[in-house]
Amino acid sequence: MAFEPQRQGSSSNGYPGDQQSLRLRRVSTQVSNQNAPQFNWTSTPAEKDEKGSSGPRELRSIPMPMALKRAVRQVQQMQVPVVSSVDSWKRKKTRFLLKLKEDVTGFLVFFTPWRKSLQKIGGNFGGGVHSYFLFLRFLVVLNFVSFLLIAGFVLIPSIVFRSVGSGLVNSTAPENCTKYDPNPQGLVVFYTYLLDVLSGTGFMEYSYLFYGYYNNTVVEDSNFSYNIPLAYVFTAAFYFAFCLICITARMGTAARVAVATGGSTVGSYSMIVFTVWNYSCLGDGNTRLKQKNIHYRLQVDLEEERIKKQAAALTLRQKLFLYTLRVFMGVVAFGLIIGAFWCISLASNFSQQNSGKEGIQGLFFQYLPSIVITTANFVVPLLCDQIAVREQYAPSTTVIVALLRAVFLRLVSLAVLLFTLWSQITCYTNSEECKLCQYNYQKYPCWETRVGQEMYKLTLFDLLINIAVLVLVEFPRRIVVDHWSSKLAQWVGRQEFVVPSNVLGLVYGQTVVWTGALFCPLLPGINAIKFVILFYCKKVTLFYNCQPPLKTFRSTTSAFFFLVVLLFGWGLATLVMIYSLAAIHPSMACGPFRFFPSIWSIVPTSFYMLSKTSQEFLFFIGSQAFSVPLFVLSCVVMFYFIALCSVYGKNVALLRAQLKLEGRDKQFLVKQIAELSQKLQIPKHNEEIED
Amino acid sequence: MGSSTSHLSKENVSEYQELTFLTKQEILLAYKRFMELYEDKKNPPDPRVSRVSLDKIVKLPELQSNPFRERICHVFSTSELKDGSLSFEDFLDLLSAFSDSATLEIKSHYAFRIFDFDDDGTLDRNDLEKLVNRLTGETDDTRLTKDEMGQLISNILEESDIDKDGTVNLSEFQHVISRSPDFVSSFKIVL
Repeated sequence: MAFEPQRQGSSSNGYPGDQQSLRLRRVSTQVSNQNAPQFNWTSTPAEKDEKGSSGPRELRSIPMPMALKRAVRQVQQMQVPVVSSVDSWKRKKTRFLLKLKEDVTGFLVFFTPWRKSLQKIGGNFGGGVHSYFLFLRFLVVLNFVSFLLIAGFVLIPSIVFRSVGSGLVNSTAPENCTKYDPNPQGLVVFYTYLLDVLSGTGFMEYSYLFYGYYNNTVVEDSNFSYNIPLAYVFTAAFYFAFCLICITARMGTAARVAVATGGSTVGSYSMIVFTVWNYSCLGDGNTRLKQKNIHYRLQVDLEEERIKKQAAALTLRQKLFLYTLRVFMGVVAFGLIIGAFWCISLASNFSQQNSGKEGIQGLFFQYLPSIVITTANFVVPLLCDQIAVREQYAPSTTVIVALLRAVFLRLVSLAVLLFTLWSQITCYTNSEECKLCQYNYQKYPCWETRVGQEMYKLTLFDLLINIAVLVLVEFPRRIVVDHWSSKLAQWVGRQEFVVPSNVLGLVYGQTVVWTGALFCPLLPGINAIKFVILFYCKKVTLFYNCQPPLKTFRSTTSAFFFLVVLLFGWGLATLVMIYSLAAIHPSMACGPFRFFPSIWSIVPTSFYMLSKTSQEFLFFIGSQAFSVPLFVLSCVVMFYFIALCSVYGKNVALLRAQLKLEGRDKQFLVKQIAELSQKLQIPKHNEEIED
Repeated sequence: MGSSTSHLSKENVSEYQELTFLTKQEILLAYKRFMELYEDKKNPPDPRVSRVSLDKIVKLPELQSNPFRERICHVFSTSELKDGSLSFEDFLDLLSAFSDSATLEIKSHYAFRIFDFDDDGTLDRNDLEKLVNRLTGETDDTRLTKDEMGQLISNILEESDIDKDGTVNLSEFQHVISRSPDFVSSFKIVL
């Protein structure tokens, strides 16, 4: 191996990595290890510290065998005595901090759940499936932390202060509006308890699970006061803000990676060939499957390229035909989706009208909206996939279009359900029943609990359907395919873990929880448990029933995409929450807000009970004298970051062009050297003989 | 050395922690697995000299079905006989390059050397063809046809060969790798 000392003058360039890149570009064509890393033996550690990389970390990053790294370290240590005491203290401090950071990360690793499982999944099934399970784990942690928040600020004070404390205001509401009796009369059959657990009625209705059980207790001791209704509202608002912050923080890291890699093109063959192999893939069977997948993928991409070349050569008439076909198919797909919404709306109305029935029939009517939503979300994407085949987009565009349609269907179907519910509560169509209490008091004496029950049923039904599909569809399918060797079984094949639809299921479940959190405070906790059960179920089905995916779903852009879709769900839930807080009159028969005209009105009421200085301070923050300068300042900061961003982008483009030019320079110089050496060949030969 | 002959001394372990990306637990686990492969049960292996032959290393479950296992051993081996045998320190270098915390530069450097089947410092058409065959499987029904292979290699060279010399050198390779977000997570072997 050759180590060439470098020119000292090169250390004053601006770019941090240029020494490394200059080293790498220095190639001598005759030496066999021409790409061996060159190391600058003469540079001192102090020089290295200026560039911001401390000694130990750079040692590890040298791609050389251990013996050479040890020699480098000895050389470095011999050169140390020249530094001052301040520098050595700084270096000791950085080394200590690094070691501390390593110890802490090593310790924290024990607290990340399912680390080994996730590694195994990533190794055997690739990046797309791995990112799905990472997303699931993120949601579990988010729900669990939210549950701790709600429990700490609302649930535990409610339990503790149940008997203590007094109501804020005595109401003058009409007597009919305050009638609410959720406890069942007389003897009940024992299986009604099971039905009650599944639908949230009966003994579960008047419990800490739902909004109706909480009182508007206000505790005021000499040095301690706690206002439960205010805590309820603020906890709900903070819960939404907290979720938003977590999601955007996670999106930031995903976006950074996506931008840094510059958005790779789909048919990039060199990228596939150089990066596709997963070295942690274990087992002969898995390896053969992976190889088959790579083979298939390369064939498909090469085929797609040939088709693209053909498509570019279409005549004008053929293009026109293709575009009209696409528009027509788009309209058909849209019509299907609207049809699904209409069915959901019908089912919702029907369910609300027949909600009084008992027994299994009553349970069926209660679960009717969930059943219709799940069926629609299963059938319509299948049909849209068939439509997408007719549309003849490029395969990558097809995937994106299908995903967008499925997202639209899921979230808007939930919105339709909620709209139907709300229109019945506030008598959108028939305003007779709402004149007395400003909401439909006959059907919904405690409407918030009813909404909470709907969300609870949706969550539970989602989990039950997942388990049912696992047991009744996926396991039998594997048994049939493995043991029955007919052509039909081979054509159906083993299950494939389809990442996009599974992710949409998670987003839908989380949106339901967000919508219902205001009315069913324990729902995030229930959802955390549900997602944990789902994790283990999906893991079991992945390892026993599924084959590695045929078309790999790119993992980092997909992580960003999952979070964007989650954000849409969050937006929908926020809209619902704002509408419920501000526009609808709370039930007068139950809940902590029964004496207020709207849920939000407790905030101004409590506000005026604060001390004068606090009131003035808060008024000042809300006034124009404060908010306008704040707005101007944030605009300035934003413009600064935009400018910085565009400068970096231009830098990257410049460096890329420079890389290309350097390559051409090298080729030119190599040609020159070859020509010169040919011209000088005879005298050179003589010199060699003399040596 | 330490109190027991079959353990690494503390100074050695902390030295390895500084020179590789492995944590202390990973180094000790690697030592245990290396000892299982090492033949001479009586004398403890000298980490710098005692070698385990290629046939034993490729029987490790983590490497057994990897189509690049022999190339990996050749790349990390510092043996003068060029037979692919690994000493314990070579083994640690291997695990360090394939670990979770190794940098992109290290991984891309070693990936390049693994793919360079003829060890000439560049990836020419033969190297690329051998690479694609290893990726798709070496049996006749899993290979690409001649036309497909030709089309694929021309496409690869068109995309990544910036200086148009018909081969892919290290910096062009690293340029392609740097645009892939999945490379770091797939270039991993964990014991």
